[in-house]
Amino acid sequence: MAHAATVGVHGVTAVAEAPIVAEPRRRRPVSWLTTTDHKKIGIAYCVTAFCFFLIGGTLADLMRAELAEPGRQLLTPQTYNGLFTIHGIVMIFLFVAPFGVGFANYLIPLQIGAPDMAFPRLNALSYWFYLGGGTLVLLAGFAAAGGGAKTGWYIYSPLSNLRYSPGVGPDLLILGLALTALATLLSGLNIVTTVFLLRAPGMTMWRLPIFTWNMVITAVLGLVAFPPALAAFVLLLFDRRLGGFAFDPLGGGDPIIYQHLFWFLGHPEVYILILPFFGVITEIIPVFSRKPLFGYTGFVLATLAIGALSVGVWAHHMFTTGVVDNPFFTAMTLTIAVPTGVKFFNWIGSMWGGRIWLAVPMLFSIGFMLNFLIGGVTGVMLASAPIDFSVSDSYFLVSHFHYTMMGGAVFGIFAGIYFWWPKITGYLLSERLGRVVFVFLFVGFNLTFWPQFVVGLRGMPRRIVDYDTNLGWNTPNLVSTIGAGLLTIGVLTFLVDVWTSHRRRTLAGDDPWGGYSLEWATTSPPPERNFASLPRIRSERPAFDLHHPDLQPVAAAEPKANR
Amino acid sequence: MRYALRYLWCLGVFGLGLGTLYWFLSYEVVGAVALWFFGFMPLIVATWWTLRGTDEALSASDDPEARPQDRSGHAVGSFPLVTSWPVFLAMGVIVIGASLVYGLILLPAGAALFVWAIIGLARETPD
Repeated sequence: MAHAATVGVHGVTAVAEAPIVAEPRRRRPVSWLTTTDHKKIGIAYCVTAFCFFLIGGTLADLMRAELAEPGRQLLTPQTYNGLFTIHGIVMIFLFVAPFGVGFANYLIPLQIGAPDMAFPRLNALSYWFYLGGGTLVLLAGFAAAGGGAKTGWYIYSPLSNLRYSPGVGPDLLILGLALTALATLLSGLNIVTTVFLLRAPGMTMWRLPIFTWNMVITAVLGLVAFPPALAAFVLLLFDRRLGGFAFDPLGGGDPIIYQHLFWFLGHPEVYILILPFFGVITEIIPVFSRKPLFGYTGFVLATLAIGALSVGVWAHHMFTTGVVDNPFFTAMTLTIAVPTGVKFFNWIGSMWGGRIWLAVPMLFSIGFMLNFLIGGVTGVMLASAPIDFSVSDSYFLVSHFHYTMMGGAVFGIFAGIYFWWPKITGYLLSERLGRVVFVFLFVGFNLTFWPQFVVGLRGMPRRIVDYDTNLGWNTPNLVSTIGAGLLTIGVLTFLVDVWTSHRRRTLAGDDPWGGYSLEWATTSPPPERNFASLPRIRSERPAFDLHHPDLQPVAAAEPKANR
Repeated sequence: MRYALRYLWCLGVFGLGLGTLYWFLSYEVVGAVALWFFGFMPLIVATWWTLRGTDEALSASDDPEARPQDRSGHAVGSFPLVTSWPVFLAMGVIVIGASLVYGLILLPAGAALFVWAIIGLARETPD
């Protein structure tokens, strides 16, 4: 059953000892089921995550259709509760975070000059846990006997107790989330080990591509944040099915402990979601500005600061419980805005004075910056406990969250797809259709979520299926629904772009953008074990150095004592 | 390697420090314990790594002047091309979990699948 290949680096060539033979077409499904190749697993992660995105997006469209005008149109209150529960979990745990893991799987070995991830079979296991967990989450929402889960994405106790949420839906949801958490833990372990131990000669930590740096910090955050949540999910299942009382006040349990454990995951999770895409756009912006990254060291230190501080802000989600130290969490949350601001400084500095090429990946990166800025600034507002008290559980919060997660992370995902698609497939996506996708997504996104700030400030609570006509919420909700329609058109246009790219097969070449990091020094798509030969690594831009030997900085050619 | 190790030490000290600060500010147990464990986790790895020392073959990764051929002859690692056991292992875990929801009658099947996959994985390990 096992076909192990030991890879050694002989001179400049990584050689797989097992013969590499093109597989027959009929065996391809089996090869995807049994693969340990990081590139195939990365693609599997991204494709699966995108399918979950389509499902989560459809649920969002249904909710927006319901809220377009006062009165009930399509959904019963119970169905609506189920939709926002599954929408939240699908988008957070099954789409954005796994898409980052997918990019990481595909790119990290390529960016550090390694033949694969450190633990290839663990990598495969992570994917199968993720797929299994995701399937259980969908079953929990739509095919559970006794009703689907309707607890909201954070499954608070006592609402999630058997007494208030009967049926197997919540159980499947908890089980699915536990499996997904396990998958993230294993992936994190793999990523950290790979980057620490499998870097190519000369690829010092201070020459790592920013995406890889960000993924290391994301992985460490996952290793820190997921175990408490995993414990909370297991205890929740214990309460529901084995007669426990960990979080049930009627049995002497404490539901606030669940909130602590959940948010100890929940807030670092926000950074687990966004840091990979900070990395993605930081790879893109310098390339399309024709300049090196401005302030590499400062950028890495800022990311380290975000990672470290993010574990100390969890209870700002619990301000209104009245049992947490609000000044401490306000101070920590305000502090974390500083390194995030540093990143904007880096991005703008990288673009400043550059020869900016507004190709599709760059458009999405600029869209990311604009949207995330709004999400970040409103985050600083919410860090203040008095403001949080007045807008807690309102649409203001919903809009803030979507400006960071959708305006940020999803734009980062599209930027990354358009940037690395030629590397992954060897073919180009259409620049013209890509611009259409960007316009629909950018306009649609802002039309959807800006009005939600307005209705939030006018007092509209989240998670309601209907509202009165005389509250001033009608027009913003209608605009928001129109925006959601434009978003849907944008996503469908992207699918058309993928399909036409597959049909047309316009060859991209190995380095269509003039990329900087090591993946652009190999073929498109890369061969098994990634590199026929590794170039010398003398700076943060090895592929650029390889393709432009005349432009190598003098400092890069001289010994650096401590780098 | 040395930067990775330094990173783990810093992370550990930060976690322990933040946990202690949080404890004295709030006297709240769950968060303080979580932060202390956040500190302990990297310290365990860092201590083990420091005591064990660094593999010489890996030092080329930290050498800014290293060339690709500097690692010539050293094994980078062992990378199986294909394996079917992770699929079965994941299925085993899912069935075990499902037994909590649908009834313990599923538990033996899940456990058997799980053990079979673990044995399969262990037997195909090259070392």
